[in-house]
This record gives sequence, C-alpha cells and structure tokens, in this order.
Amino acid sequence: MSSLSLRGVTKEYEVADSRLRVLDAINLDVAPGEFVSIVGSSGCGKSTLLRLIVGLDADYEGQILLDGRPVRGASLSRGIVFQDHRLLPWFTLEQNVGLALENAPMPRDTKRSEVARLIALVGLGGFENAYPHQLSGGMAQRAALARGLVTRPEILLLDEPFGALDALTRLRLQDELLHIWSTHRTSVILVTHDVEEAIYLGDKVVVMLPSPGRIAREVKIDLPGQRDRTSHAFNALRHEILIEMGATSTVERDLRMRLVR
Amino acid sequence: MTTSAEAVAGPSVRTTGRRHPKAIGLVIPTVILSLWELAAHQGWVSAVFLPTPERTIRSLFEMIRDEGFLKDVLSSLTIVVESFIGGAILGIGAGVLAGLSRTADRVLGPTLDAIRHVPPIAWLPLIVLWVGIGPLGKVVFIVKVVFFPVFLNTVQGIRGVQKEHIDLATVLTLNRWQLLRRVVLPGALPSILVGLRYGASLAWALIVVAEGLSGLKGIGFLIFRAQALLMTDQLLVCMVVIGAIGFMIDFGMCRLERRLLRWKRGYDGA
Repeated sequence: MSSLSLRGVTKEYEVADSRLRVLDAINLDVAPGEFVSIVGSSGCGKSTLLRLIVGLDADYEGQILLDGRPVRGASLSRGIVFQDHRLLPWFTLEQNVGLALENAPMPRDTKRSEVARLIALVGLGGFENAYPHQLSGGMAQRAALARGLVTRPEILLLDEPFGALDALTRLRLQDELLHIWSTHRTSVILVTHDVEEAIYLGDKVVVMLPSPGRIAREVKIDLPGQRDRTSHAFNALRHEILIEMGATSTVERDLRMRLVR
Repeated sequence: MTTSAEAVAGPSVRTTGRRHPKAIGLVIPTVILSLWELAAHQGWVSAVFLPTPERTIRSLFEMIRDEGFLKDVLSSLTIVVESFIGGAILGIGAGVLAGLSRTADRVLGPTLDAIRHVPPIAWLPLIVLWVGIGPLGKVVFIVKVVFFPVFLNTVQGIRGVQKEHIDLATVLTLNRWQLLRRVVLPGALPSILVGLRYGASLAWALIVVAEGLSGLKGIGFLIFRAQALLMTDQLLVCMVVIGAIGFMIDFGMCRLERRLLRWKRGYDGA
C-alpha cells in the first residue's frame, strides 16, 4: 500500500490554435488503503486525470507522486480498469488476466497460480478458457477487475468500471468490489458519474466541476459498516453532493422560469 | 459471488435457422454436367470442340500414364507453394515495417505503389528476358504477385488495430516485441489472412498464365499447347484440374482462417 499525491496537476489540450484547459491545478491525496471516489459530470476531466496517473500521458504540469516519488510512464504498481472491459478478443479469459503478469518479476508457476486465484476471487472459476465474446458484460468486467488486481498494484484506478452495465449487475458488482477491496486492501481511485455509487463505495468523495476540470470539494463519508442506500444519512450526503455538482440549482432555476411564465 | 444469474453464451452456438442440406450446392454442377453429356452425345457441338465427358476422363488417365501429366502438375504446384511462402514472408515483413513505422511507410510507399500499378503480366516479359523461361522466372513472378495483396492487407490490418488496445499494452508495460506479438499481429490477423487467401488464389491463377506465355513445362504450358494442337480433350482435362486445385487451395486457406480466427464471432449468414 502506498500513498498518492497530486500537486497542482494542470493539463491542457491543443485545440485548433488555442489551448483548452481540461484540468486546473488539481490537488488530491489518497492515503494508503483509502478508497476515493471522484464524481463529476462528463467532460470534467476525471478520465483524463486517471490517464495521467496511470502514465498514458506525460504531458502535464504539476506533480504526481507515489510514496513521494514522481511517477514516470506506466508501471505495474498502478493498475487500471477501463469502462469498456478491454479484454483482447483473441485471448481466453486466463490469457487476458495473465497478460498483466507478462513482465512481472515472478516465476511461471506463481504467475499461473495467481491468475487462477484472481479468477476465482472475481467468481469466474470454470470460465478460464472462455473467449471474451462468450462472456456477458458483467463477467467481462469482473475479468477486467481480475486483470487489474493480479499484479497487486499499490493503487488501483477504476474508470467508470460499471458504467456500461445494467442497474442490477452494477449493484452486485459494487458489493463484490467492496469484498475484493477488503481482502486486497489496495488504494483505490474510482471515477464515476453515479453519486450513489461514489458514496456507497468511497471513504471520501471528490466532487469535480467542468471547464476547466477542477476539484470543487472533498466530502468525507463517515458511514460505518455496510452502507444503507435508503438511510437518512446517506441521502443527506447525496443531496449535499448533488448541490455541489450544481444539479439542484438547475432544478430551482427551471422552477423559477416556469413561475415567471 | 455468483455468476449463475448472468447469461453465458455457449461456445460458438450457431443460430442460422433452417439448415439446408449441403447437397443443395451440387444442383447447378449436375445440371451443367448433364447439358455437357447431352450436347456431346446429340452432336449439338462438333466432337473436335466438345469431346464427351467420358472421353475427357479417359484422356486424363492417358495423360497420367503416357505423358507424365502429374509431373507437370507437380512442377506448377511446387513453384506456387515456394513462391507463395516467399511472397507471404516478404509481404508480412514489409507490411509490419510499414504498418508500425510512418517513416518506413513513406520510404517504401511510393516505390511499391509504382511497381504495383504495372500489372503482373506486364512484368513477365522483362523477368523472362533477365532470368529466362525456367522455373526461376516464374518464382520471381509469383512472389511479386503474392507480395502485394499480403503487404497491403498487413499494413491496413495494423493501422486498424484499436488505439484502446495499444493503451492497454502500455498500461501493462509490454515492450515493443510483446506489443507486436500479443496485440498488433493478432489484431491485424483477420486482415492479413484476407491478403494471404487472395494471394494464394491469384498465385495459382497466374502460374497458368505465366507457363502458357513462356516455358515448356507445367499445367499452364499444357493447356495452351492443347489449344494450339486442337486437343480439346486435354484442354478440358487441364481446365478441370486447374479448377479442382484452385478450389482445394481456397478450401485449405478457408480452413486455416477458421482455425486461426476461432476467437472471432462474425455473421454466419441467414
């Protein structure tokens, strides 16, 4: 387990002669073993932020530090799960998970047993030789989770991993993710646009606002034990975060407009 | 942690609905063969121009027994197989180079394009002039014929590899060789196989032409000689054998494709 710190991370894209700022001076700390949710509407730069942390894009200002050392390029100590499961269609489930260990410094036998252990952990035992097109969306996403975890990363980045799933499967996978996290205890950053998901899973919810992408607020989630989505405390937090994101004010504005008419 | 509630597609279940018996494809050939029988026996066409099917089959055995027909077929096949392998290796090699590196593409591109736009047959006279009418000239010729479809489809296949898969490879810290072997080549394989299959068919078709235009050996030589000597039975034998071998080559390539792409789920047709 490690701590991650972002210091003044700023990212700009070149768009037709002008520079578009997508991330503006992001400061963020993730403690060892902490689960941080980032919520924001689409276009607030939250996925870009993960690309920078995982090392897919080195063109930014500011510092990204893992245990005090600046991150450079990709590394197996930082894992990521994308919204599309991104399994390679020509590999079986087992080969897909194993691909993450290609360059891991461990003997062949250990690799094999680690792959088997992770596949079992995400509940896909028996499907080792299935090709991705034979898996349902939920199963493919579990496989992607297994691939993200098999390297035992210091920090796991989840980029809307359940965004493309149906509501029921999403709820189930959220619980499984909590279970897996409790056994692996890695630090996690989850990016989502689902406020309920963010509160349900996170120790801390970071609210991001768009143009330019910036952090509006960090909300500590002090709900002990199994969280109840219908409890008063849960809903109070949801309300608070939605207001921060500007959702309620829009509703009010609409109401006022209607009254004027 | 249950997966029971989630749907699992069985291993490549085909749901094509009504299944027609395979024999349905034999209807038209049977009709044609019957018409041939009829036309030859009724004397609709002179025997010089259309011998009976039985006469044709007898000619096949006579050619095998008396004229070393199989040797000619084998010599044509050998040239095609050798040249196909050579052309495929060169095509995939150059294609990978040009596909991975824009610089290599810019260096190779214009030259190869210029060569490509001179049709294969137009190269033959020069090749014959340089290396003679022996097998070597044909090998050079067919290598060139196979090279281009393989090269072009390899480049296209590599360019079509998803950016997301390249990102994944980066995240998993794959090196250049691992990237090529595990991600780029499998991703480009469907396209490469299209090139190989097309190249194989083209190679077999054009060896016939090349042998007909130059040389004294091979099935292409025999078919053009049969025409010149008005031996229509031998001509028909050659046609049937050329067709049968062409069919088998494509069938083999098709099987290879199925085997290598079994991870792919496509549309099987209604």
